[in-house]
Amino acid sequence: MSLLIRNLNKSFKDVVVLQDFEVTFPEDTITCMLGPSGCGKTTLLNIIGNLIPPDSGELIGFENKMLSYVFQDPRLLPWKTVRGNIEFVLSREMPSDEREKHTEQLIKQVELDGFAGFYPSQLSGGMRQRVSIARAFACPSDIILMDEPLKGLDAGLKKNLINWFLKLWKTDRRTVIFVTHDVDEALLLSDRVIVLSQPPTRILTHMNIDQPAGERDPGSGHLLKIKQELLNAVTIR
Amino acid sequence: MKRFITKKRLLNIASVFFLLALWKILALYFHSAFIIPQPEDTFLTVLQLFTDKDFLVVAGSTVLRGLVGFIISFFLGLVTGIIAGISPGFNAFITPLLVTVRSVPVISLILLALIWFDPGTVPVFIALLTMFPFICTNVSDGIRSVDPGLVEMAVFYKVNKRRIITGVYLPAIVPFIISGASSAMGIGWRAIIIGEVLSQPVYGIGTRMQVAQTFLNVDAVIAWTLIAILISFVFEKMIRWGERKIEKWRVGS
Repeated sequence: MSLLIRNLNKSFKDVVVLQDFEVTFPEDTITCMLGPSGCGKTTLLNIIGNLIPPDSGELIGFENKMLSYVFQDPRLLPWKTVRGNIEFVLSREMPSDEREKHTEQLIKQVELDGFAGFYPSQLSGGMRQRVSIARAFACPSDIILMDEPLKGLDAGLKKNLINWFLKLWKTDRRTVIFVTHDVDEALLLSDRVIVLSQPPTRILTHMNIDQPAGERDPGSGHLLKIKQELLNAVTIR
Repeated sequence: MKRFITKKRLLNIASVFFLLALWKILALYFHSAFIIPQPEDTFLTVLQLFTDKDFLVVAGSTVLRGLVGFIISFFLGLVTGIIAGISPGFNAFITPLLVTVRSVPVISLILLALIWFDPGTVPVFIALLTMFPFICTNVSDGIRSVDPGLVEMAVFYKVNKRRIITGVYLPAIVPFIISGASSAMGIGWRAIIIGEVLSQPVYGIGTRMQVAQTFLNVDAVIAWTLIAILISFVFEKMIRWGERKIEKWRVGS
């Protein structure tokens, strides 16, 4: 089963961002939308997330699907602890002991056990983003949307966050739609990379990465070849 | 930091002593208890007032009126402020009303209230009208300052409206509520006492001030003023104490 976007159009005043845009997202895989800043990646994600309406077009297969969002800025409530922030998005229909257990388990999985009672102001940027990722997995969603969640983090931290994310994803597979302008992030995290052009956005190329995410060596000849192909595609405007 | 605090405290104390010295100099200059009484005589009067059998009832009545006015204004201001902060339409509707209430001279409100209400209710009504706009405006400003990203996150995760209000909006507007409550209390006490002076309820600091003024009992007028300042100071401290407690709950210590 795939999720399909057909004839999607979106303009902001006179600027046409999406024009008859079409794309398919295979379920339970990580798809990366790679493109330069301002190419309409976030607009596309926000339309899928129902945060902004499209001018026209169809989103097929998204009906009745639950969504999680890992925002670029972690958007944690400053007055709630790590535990409180994760619990906040859980349905009150879930019994409180089950909520608590689920939250604690996720905190453990992102290795924040000692920080469950800490407030966002007491955490580093990377830790805050880990909480945001744990919150996305806490919610029983079918699709996780991620808007450049690694932006502004140093290389080591990015690698760690990717590993934590993949650790969670491998135990609880969901469809992930991830946007970035960073080729290395796309290469390490996704099963499929779609390269987007400048607006009006069109697909320049797409490629599948056959090696399982988390087991890739960015220095291997195969990955370097894919990286070069992606870089060549990104530079075509 | 500690040295700075000590220096600040010393300057605070120096300021109080400066005021007392100025008072003493003026009292010596005029040399008349009917114009400016001696500070020590006034403090003696304050002590005498404390031992007066009616003192607790008099001060308590004023405090009770202040509290009733404050509590009504607080809840009314909180609810209308939240609605005005969320709904631009309601905000456009209520803003002229708030501006009008704030612009009407307190004395006009008192004169009208004297016609409409019994003497005990007049100060409460005045307190309500003077405090309510502060709280309402601060709360609606607070709501508008809430990070839209946090609200968007909560809406995205389908958190219900009640929990968005209690979990996102309310904690975010706490500093605005405290600031509004503090300003409202500061202005409210003055309005209540003016209301009591003019409406003359049986018990009230304003009533006692009016009686003292009639008999040119200047030291009693000042003594009651000092007691009113003390009450206002105690409530301000209580608000600050509450602010610290809420702040601890809000962002952690």
